[in-house]
Amino acid sequence: MLIHAAMIQTSSIDEVMRALADPTRRAVFERIASSDEINVAELTRTSGVTQGAVSQHLKSLKRAGLVVERPQGRNVFYRAKPEGLAPLFDWLSHYDAFWRERFANLRTLLKEIDP
Amino acid sequence: MNTAALQTRAQEIVVDEAFPHAPEAIWRTLTSGELMGRWLGMEPSGFEPVAGNRFTYRTTSAGEWDGTIQCEALDVIPNERFAYSWKGGHEGNAGYGAPLDTVVTFTLEKVEGGTRLRLVHSGFVLPRNDTAYRNMSGGWNKVVPRIGAMTGEHASS
Repeated sequence: MLIHAAMIQTSSIDEVMRALADPTRRAVFERIASSDEINVAELTRTSGVTQGAVSQHLKSLKRAGLVVERPQGRNVFYRAKPEGLAPLFDWLSHYDAFWRERFANLRTLLKEIDP
Repeated sequence: MNTAALQTRAQEIVVDEAFPHAPEAIWRTLTSGELMGRWLGMEPSGFEPVAGNRFTYRTTSAGEWDGTIQCEALDVIPNERFAYSWKGGHEGNAGYGAPLDTVVTFTLEKVEGGTRLRLVHSGFVLPRNDTAYRNMSGGWNKVVPRIGAMTGEHASS
């Protein structure tokens, strides 16, 4: 059953998916991912939204484990954490496991009904 | 600003295995509601093996999704090919129970001593980030081919 998909670390997947569901936030994440490190001011300059909005997006991305921050003096630099996308692979691989299990069941059933 | 690098990409699941049974026997298990219930763990409602037929499966609910999987038989070629849409989920969910708009396709091929059964469950949309994964070991670029390799390994079992 799809129950298996529910047993994986759903909170983490939920956060990652939610974080990336918003196109602006996705663009912010991409901007971070394409730089080594970037601060809020520069993100704001290139994202077309207010600094407050950028900060909110950063908060979600941090919570989802997609970015990490490094304070330096009065500045905070952000950097992408690609490992944060890993739960999405788990999600897909659970559907993969779902069908593999079903194939095993099918093999058993066929032995029974078509010996 | 590089907006093109983060895209969504449809992913598919492939399981490909040989069974020591004739295509006709396998076809029966794929297209009889009662037999489906026995191996899939979900018995369909309103199912008939006819293209255009709409049927449902019921699985575990999540949030506002009641667990109903809406299906439509797309392609029914006896002993050869059976494809149906698999839609479910709710926008209020992320992860399990998130909206799914996918297609399940079974292809049967007669081989020596039995049948090769190939399942493709396609249409999973995942965010993709090439830039973020470029330098990452065990990341997207590694995982996806690995899924492919796994299915390849199982093909002859």
